Amino acid sequence: MQVSLANESPTPSNEAPSAFCQKDQQQLNTSPEAIQQPQEAPATRARSRGGSGDEGAGDGSGPEPNGQPPAAPPARVVENEEEEDEEMTLKYGAKHVIMLFVPVTLCMVVVVATIKSVSFYTKNDGQRLIYTPFPEETDTVAQRAVNSILNATIMITVIIVMTLVLVLLYKYRCYKVIQGWLFLSSLLLLFFFSFIYLHGFPCLRRSLPLPDVRALSVREVFKTYNVAMDYFTLAIVVWNFGVVGMICIHWKGPLRLQQAYLIMISALMALVFIKYLPEWTAWLILAVISVYDLLAVLCPKGPLRILVETAQERNEPIFPALIYSSTMVWLVNMADTDRPKRNSTEASPPQQQTQDSAVESPAPSSPSQDDGGFTSSWVSQQEHRLGQLQSTEETRREIQQMPSARPPVEDDDEERGVKLGLGDFIFYSMLVGKASATASGDWNTTLACFVAILI
Amino acid sequence: QGHCAFTMNLERLPNEEKLTLCRKYYLGGFALLPFLWFVNVVWFFKEAFIKPPFTEQTQIKSYVKRSALGLLFWVSVLTTWITIYQHFRAQWGE
Repeated sequence: MQVSLANESPTPSNEAPSAFCQKDQQQLNTSPEAIQQPQEAPATRARSRGGSGDEGAGDGSGPEPNGQPPAAPPARVVENEEEEDEEMTLKYGAKHVIMLFVPVTLCMVVVVATIKSVSFYTKNDGQRLIYTPFPEETDTVAQRAVNSILNATIMITVIIVMTLVLVLLYKYRCYKVIQGWLFLSSLLLLFFFSFIYLHGFPCLRRSLPLPDVRALSVREVFKTYNVAMDYFTLAIVVWNFGVVGMICIHWKGPLRLQQAYLIMISALMALVFIKYLPEWTAWLILAVISVYDLLAVLCPKGPLRILVETAQERNEPIFPALIYSSTMVWLVNMADTDRPKRNSTEASPPQQQTQDSAVESPAPSSPSQDDGGFTSSWVSQQEHRLGQLQSTEETRREIQQMPSARPPVEDDDEERGVKLGLGDFIFYSMLVGKASATASGDWNTTLACFVAILI
Repeated sequence: QGHCAFTMNLERLPNEEKLTLCRKYYLGGFALLPFLWFVNVVWFFKEAFIKPPFTEQTQIKSYVKRSALGLLFWVSVLTTWITIYQHFRAQWGE
């Protein structure tokens, strides 16, 4: 599982130096690591400096608080600090991983649970998405292989094209476009698919390339338990769910709720993919996208790289609608600096979204079937590849070191979080879902996949 | 630009902004969004009732209370409707 942790990229102009200086003085271990990492892969290597930083800052924030007499040998102090820092690094690393572990697990659980309970997902009714026109129920293995390769190619081409489009948009600062697109896509996703999830909608069968969605719903579950869901209640529920979701993700809302929504969206997408992608195609796509992901991020020419760098140059935050952050990041809008307040998981200025969107291509399981809903999470996938573009933690730290700064560095602890692209959620959930759907010893397979992903 | 991004950690928000946020959630709930009221109540509960008083607290309290009332209203309406519906479902036909 690739995790993008809070990035301390050295590029942000005014923030980094003081932040790093401070850190270097106080916590020695984390900084060098952090500095080196960005050089290899700026996109992927954000580390949660926050964690170690925080505690280090707690300790090391001045020998004074420690109560150590100034006469204490500096070497000893340093040594102690180093040891403590290392410990803290470990603890923080683990803590952050766990913070990410939970939502991914949740997403997978939701997906697997749905697959088990609503049997429609495992039924192959021969209908496919418009993006994968080649059927897989063919007579010969060879034919099937060819078809799935073709399907996968189409899908991936679409993904790559979308990515490039987004990169271009981002480069040319068509932020409005990006923002609008993402807004629409999340809107679509929230309403349309949750509606389908809950109800199913027969008339869509004819008008859209989607297969029979009627059974794609919890309605079947409802029928099993002889529970009726009338339209009025359903409408209210869907409306509420959708609107509050939009508010939480794109505007301001409680962190937990935002996380929950992102998980739900990811699960929805994963389910749709599981259902509508023929088997071989799906596995193939997963494999190829993982590979592509690596390439796109590490190669200097890769679109993702471009995005990262552009974003770093412009010192822009990342679009929160597309990424999942385990905590919120707080940037104080100080009088002397004009750093904008930024919420790492909120819809920041469109620029970030662009970058997220552009990062789309590696998203394994979210080709843009309807360009709306899917691309966003897809993008988020990229997002995490990009890592943290804004050194929010750094700025925060810096702020805290300012005399008029907010209080306790300890707060950094909670607030420093890790970010993970939504695409990852989808990818892994889909993987697990597919495994559980198709394997005979399904629980074993599922668990094995699960563990493998975590590792 | 469109969105102002700031932390969702209420601790960090200045009080006026908390009030604005609470108010906006309250007003938004009128668009047939009891869920929004629910979120408002849960989210701002601590701010309104547990924390030591601050200037805007009374107003936040009032918004939270009103949101809770609205929520109760909706819950009762929906429950009544669902009960009726379930009860008469067979008679009305599905």
